[in-house]
Amino acid sequence: MSAILKKEFLVFFRNVGLVIFVLYAFTMDIYIAGKGIKVTPRHVSIGYVNEGDIAVVNKIISHFHSPQFKKPKLFLNEKSLKEAIYNRKIMVGIVFNKEFVNNLLSGKTAKLQVLIDSTAAAQAEVTLIYIQNILLKFEHHLKTPASIDIIKLFNPNANTKWFMSLSELMSDITMLGLILIAVVFVREKENGTWDIMLLMPVKGSLIIFAKILSQVLILMAGITIAVGLIVFGAFNTPINGNIFNFYLISFLFSFAIGGIALVIAAISKTILEVAHLTIVIMLPLIFLSGAWTPLSAMSPFIQFLSYFSPLRYYIQATQDIFFRGSGFMDLLPYFGAEFLIAVILFYIGYRKIGRLF
Amino acid sequence: MRLNVIKAYLKKEFIDLIRNKMIILIYLIPTMILILFGYGIKLEVTHTRTIIIDNDHSKLSLEIINKFSHTKYFDVKVENISYKEALHKLQTNKADMIVIIPPSFSKDLYKGAQIGVFIDGSFPLRAVTIEGYVEKLLIHGFNIKLPIKIENRNFFNEAMRDYNAIVPGLFGLIFLVVPASLAAIIIVKEKEVGTIFNFYSAPIKKIEFVIAKIIPPFLFHSLNIFILFLWATYLFDVPFRGNFFIFWLTSEIYILISVGIGILVSIVTSTQVAALVLSVIITVIPGFLYSGILMPISSMDKESYIEAHIFPVSYYNHIIYDTFLIGQGFKSSLNVLYFIILCIYAFVLIALGTLLIKKAIK
Repeated sequence: MSAILKKEFLVFFRNVGLVIFVLYAFTMDIYIAGKGIKVTPRHVSIGYVNEGDIAVVNKIISHFHSPQFKKPKLFLNEKSLKEAIYNRKIMVGIVFNKEFVNNLLSGKTAKLQVLIDSTAAAQAEVTLIYIQNILLKFEHHLKTPASIDIIKLFNPNANTKWFMSLSELMSDITMLGLILIAVVFVREKENGTWDIMLLMPVKGSLIIFAKILSQVLILMAGITIAVGLIVFGAFNTPINGNIFNFYLISFLFSFAIGGIALVIAAISKTILEVAHLTIVIMLPLIFLSGAWTPLSAMSPFIQFLSYFSPLRYYIQATQDIFFRGSGFMDLLPYFGAEFLIAVILFYIGYRKIGRLF
Repeated sequence: MRLNVIKAYLKKEFIDLIRNKMIILIYLIPTMILILFGYGIKLEVTHTRTIIIDNDHSKLSLEIINKFSHTKYFDVKVENISYKEALHKLQTNKADMIVIIPPSFSKDLYKGAQIGVFIDGSFPLRAVTIEGYVEKLLIHGFNIKLPIKIENRNFFNEAMRDYNAIVPGLFGLIFLVVPASLAAIIIVKEKEVGTIFNFYSAPIKKIEFVIAKIIPPFLFHSLNIFILFLWATYLFDVPFRGNFFIFWLTSEIYILISVGIGILVSIVTSTQVAALVLSVIITVIPGFLYSGILMPISSMDKESYIEAHIFPVSYYNHIIYDTFLIGQGFKSSLNVLYFIILCIYAFVLIALGTLLIKKAIK
């Protein structure tokens, strides 16, 4: 078994291009995704038209500031403001007309016109909430009968880097796991050495297990690099649970992915076929398991399907460990599910690929 | 350039693609991505699993619970559990939000009464949105007369539908990733199998070879423009307000850009797996980040704002969102400028690919 492991490591490290890609995926790729993908609106471009009293309007405008908003741009009239929105240079336009200022000064309900580019619907909605809150705070004398104390647990500042880098890491593990493990088998099939492997006086199941283990170990090394350098190093992600639980679930998940890859390898004859099948299986796996958007927001049918996805349990367990700080006992169902999926897939894959006749 | 040489090469490519069933995947993958992402990416927040702990049992607290129950945003359960138990439910992901109404809440009104709200912050966008909903709801719940009322007019996506926001943006992602990887693979496959030596030794010019390799992915994906358009307008009901000709023409140019990227990838890689992984990695992230799906480009910070203008996807998606939701077409000079930039990109990438491709073993 150690001979097979050694051989697979050699094959992997000899392919310098592949090593570089894998390293890139586990470092830069996660870094870029964590830093770049911002889902909560920041730096919203804003423009305004002022037809009323400068002093009052400037006072309101001074409340629109970074990080939520860019410096507001003054437009001469409503027409030029609209044009900027149509060319998508500006996302939010506020029109302070005379009536608004007069009503505000005389204490009547003043209606403020807000023009908003709602192409990105969710962001537009949150931006409207920002504006509303700014206007509420602008009125100091406003007294609410009770204060509302909102606490966002686990990630109080809604830091998207933590969430995004973990999501990207899990997507990368899925992608690389599927490709690397399936290719290990199919390369031998393509070269015709697979039958020879099975003819050797070693059990077929042992060969399969060793081959998958070799790639799982490479993945685990990649995960260590990614978590150490990027997740903890660059982004300072807090971990509320135990890191060993994360390693355990990653290890089990890699095997479950290995099971899927084994099935892919069993039905495909060439590497090209592997590539296609991987894409067809990987995309739904990643996007419908709740990596990027919460499962509870999806349709019930997809929620049901996701019970068969090993990624679902991995994502939930990882978020539980990093953010919610769950302990070993709470995570037990996830470990069990990953293990069960891995065993079933190994059996199916073995039936198809592990025997000569 | 000799047409009969190109014709012969083309014939071989088409037979090859159809014979190894690539053709199915060429049409399956883009449709699959569009449908999966279209249905899968949900940015609006509904059905937040909410637990309300009512320790007050007054008329006011019931009113607040009612307010929560009567929106699509919250799925409310009123439970009589301790704060600790509720927190454990958050920790094990059995609830998304807890609202705690303290005892003697209605008595303490105007004397420092406080409602506690705890939101699971693991999904940042969801947490921020829920926070906003809760504030809005509670302020309206207290019937406060606000001095300023916001009258918002939504442009382009009036009903704030998630589909309108996401589906057009996916075009830029799909037509960047899929043609690029196909073009890269059909060239690198020759390298891996060894048939590239036919090209090295035959009296065929580089430009002829490149044209013969560009045309199959280009033609196959041209049909995909129409297929995806139909999915977007019929399945997802995205309005189409612009000029179809502009939409089609821009998409064809954009596919050329993508194929150009694929040729460049094929030059630096020598195995099909490496070509696939490289072309996916260098196209997916920019295609997603700068597509405008998640964030309009105008609202990015300085760094990403500049980066976005390096990648062709931002120009393409600007025009695509325009043709779907806005409908200014070439009346807006900005769209014309972006179209010209795309043409330059296509020309430069393909010229570069033709120059750099090798016709001998190094």
